[in-house]
Amino acid sequence: MERRKFIKLAGVAAGMCFIPPALYFVAPGVKKYAALSIEKELHYLKLAPGSVASFVEDYFRLIGNDTVSALKWKTTYYLGLSYDKSDRLRDLIKYYLLSSDFFINKTDERKVVNYLGIYSPYKSPVPNPYSFVIYPPESIKEV
Amino acid sequence: MKYDHYDLVVVGTGFASTFFLQKYLAKASSNKKVLVLEKGHFYPQAERLKIKKGLTSDFQKYDSPWENNIINLNKKKEWPFTTAYGGSSNCWWGCTPRFMPNDFKLKSTYGVAEDWPIDYNDLDPYYYEAEELMSVSGPEGTPFPRKGKYPLPPHAFTMVDKIMHKTYGNQYVSQPGARASKGTHGRNGCMSFSTCETCPVDAKFTIENSGTTAYTDTRVELVYGAQVYSLVTENTMISQVLFEQDGKEVSVKGEVVVLGTNPFFNANILLNAGDKNAFTGKGIGEQLGMQVLIYLENMTNAGGSNWVNANGYMLYDGAHRKDFAACLIEANNAPYDIRLERGKHLNVASFRMVFEDLPLLSNYVTTSPNKFMPEVHFQDRSEYTLKGVANMKKKLPGILSCLPVEELRYLEPASHEGHIIGGTRMSADHTTGVVDKHMIHHQYRNLFVLGAGAFTTFGPSNPTLTLSAMSLFAADKSF
Repeated sequence: MERRKFIKLAGVAAGMCFIPPALYFVAPGVKKYAALSIEKELHYLKLAPGSVASFVEDYFRLIGNDTVSALKWKTTYYLGLSYDKSDRLRDLIKYYLLSSDFFINKTDERKVVNYLGIYSPYKSPVPNPYSFVIYPPESIKEV
Repeated sequence: MKYDHYDLVVVGTGFASTFFLQKYLAKASSNKKVLVLEKGHFYPQAERLKIKKGLTSDFQKYDSPWENNIINLNKKKEWPFTTAYGGSSNCWWGCTPRFMPNDFKLKSTYGVAEDWPIDYNDLDPYYYEAEELMSVSGPEGTPFPRKGKYPLPPHAFTMVDKIMHKTYGNQYVSQPGARASKGTHGRNGCMSFSTCETCPVDAKFTIENSGTTAYTDTRVELVYGAQVYSLVTENTMISQVLFEQDGKEVSVKGEVVVLGTNPFFNANILLNAGDKNAFTGKGIGEQLGMQVLIYLENMTNAGGSNWVNANGYMLYDGAHRKDFAACLIEANNAPYDIRLERGKHLNVASFRMVFEDLPLLSNYVTTSPNKFMPEVHFQDRSEYTLKGVANMKKKLPGILSCLPVEELRYLEPASHEGHIIGGTRMSADHTTGVVDKHMIHHQYRNLFVLGAGAFTTFGPSNPTLTLSAMSLFAADKSF
């Protein structure tokens, strides 16, 4: 384990000794960390106001928000893990993008990214970001 | 039931049973009496779709998770299937490549395992027939011998597919699939949702949307909720089929009996009936699949019109099969395989590497104290397969050198490929297998045991088209 990571982990662990367990039920805090993480990682996109918060509400309603998951999220945030080090964070950001119109707009960074509802292959308007519906065959250049 | 004796008793309504019955009815006289026993119920695709959308359905009472139907002792190995009218046509993903000719003669060509008692040429006309019945979409020019166009045009390539096809020709082709490339026969064109299990637009071939008249034919009586568990044997014949319906024990006599359930249940029924063939229930398995994410430097992989956009055969057939398993490449169009780096979100190709496996005696099915529940023992992958994985990792970078590859990420092997194979293997005689080339039991000569259970070896190609062609072949040659 890298030294820096170890120190941060130890810090979280130590905190656990003094913080009442009830605190870990404080969902808004967890959701805040999740929202901050999305905004940090996707800093280069124009995220519609409130869209990340709405997504995070739906996301945690879907995956559950118990003590364990709250603690894991807090740990992820305090460790400063980026998505390439955290599957949890990668999933969160991936599902945010898939739940938005980012791919429907062909990943155009100039366009505002709107939340369309939590990703579902059965409900999302265009659930496959690679789809020929977005990139019709005539737009795929001949080799 | 209308009668206590039928000319033909068919167990199951999946691919194997339906294709067999269709051919039988085309050849049988108008006074024949056919009974079809289905364990599950009719559960329409539209109702399944409601559940996927989070709605409710009166048909939910017919949900029958696969885990509740077998005793699976190895929890890491999954075996998804559907118990209902149409069987696993309700949950398959619609991949229909043919086998390669050498898949049928592994022993004589490469000295591995056993040859099948049938070959590619035996099945060739029935492949065409099955492809027509499923309205398969596919390319002209395939690695296996095939003339002319498929019933429907091929699906659209991505840029990655185009480059690979240009490099490898007919060794890398649009995958033949029963996911319609345009509307046909009551099915819509695929919208590339990549959730084929329950197709959101009903583009995938199922028994329900097939337009088959097998179950509406006036000669046929279809009974739902009939759990077949055993047979009564009399020397070289089956005299009765035993089942339970609504908690009551029922038996029915049949001139000819057809087991068309999945390999676990076919084996369970045979073992409950006292079948002493040394291979009954032995050598179950399926292919090994693992995903490789190909991160691309400056190229997106967008534009595919299908779930499996293409098949690559560069690691499939050849002298290497003397030493290690063939590998079929599936180019997936997976929505969840996106990247998060800025400007590279779609710069990834997701290839599933599917390896053949061998029927090992250490993988088998037995009966259990519950006569309806087979007990599944799956322990090992063959060394042959694992060597194939190792070879693939050596060769893949070179194969992909025509692409701007940034990084390859190998994921862990998947828990299943959605196939159940073996357990009633086909062979020349009873000393090496359970059924003959027409899938008639070596000992019980009025009993057909259909499906992928009859496969002698487990080539890397998806089994459904081949097992469907085998049903057409068996019925055509036997009646």
